[in-house]
Amino acid sequence: MNGTGTVGAIQKLENMLLVAVPRDLMDTDVLHLRREVLQAIRRYNSRWVLLDFSRVDICDSFFGRFIQSTAQMAGLMGAEVIISGLQDAVIETMVELGMTLADITAVLDLDDALVLSRETDQRSSESDTSDSDTENILLDEEV
Amino acid sequence: MAETIKRIPVKTFADVVTARRQALDLSLAMGFPMPEATKIAVVVSELGRNIMLYAGEGTITLLPNEAERYFKLIAQDQGPGIEDIDLALTEHYSTSGGLGLGLSGSKRMMDEFEVWSVVGVGTRITAVRYLH
Repeated sequence: MNGTGTVGAIQKLENMLLVAVPRDLMDTDVLHLRREVLQAIRRYNSRWVLLDFSRVDICDSFFGRFIQSTAQMAGLMGAEVIISGLQDAVIETMVELGMTLADITAVLDLDDALVLSRETDQRSSESDTSDSDTENILLDEEV
Repeated sequence: MAETIKRIPVKTFADVVTARRQALDLSLAMGFPMPEATKIAVVVSELGRNIMLYAGEGTITLLPNEAERYFKLIAQDQGPGIEDIDLALTEHYSTSGGLGLGLSGSKRMMDEFEVWSVVGVGTRITAVRYLH
């Protein structure tokens, strides 16, 4: 019965994975979902992962840990996790539980997530160009 | 309204999911606003997970009392018990590799939180949240 609650939760859009986190997940489902996200990052070469929590109304410490660890693991694969759709009651509860989710970027919805990813990708491709210029200069000096 | 008592045997994590969903529904039904109902449900989730993690099985009892305007919950197991209750209630302390927020956070979110535990006998946690 592992993971049955997470079927169809992940979709791909441009270089982003859209993860509609289902409600009423067991801990094993949560771990299964994290593994599916990491596999999908590899499969689609995704740069971004949007975890959408619109459907989630009970978010405990295990869930908070899921968000943190997924962000950390995705980061090691070169993808950035952003979250959306956290309901006010969920946020109030998570903060009172003591979860900070310090380094996680939150956006309002999918539109905002796309704006953020496109702008960031554009900026980094511009700075990539200047980085390679610098590399060339250094190489020239070495020669 | 007569006092409702919901006793939920916890044998698998699916039972924890059922218990926390019922806690949310029952507390909303007696008038708790969503953020407070969510906290009650999360406390049920944390205590239910602890039952699974440490004892393997136990029971969660939900006692919404509309006349007295409070929601009481009892999480009980016959597991190994807690050696040092104060330490277990310390934020970020965990013996399971978790964040160590479950028990300390649960205590913070309830108006009353009482831990009874005897090593080798079991644990009973009683928590109350009042409807103001």
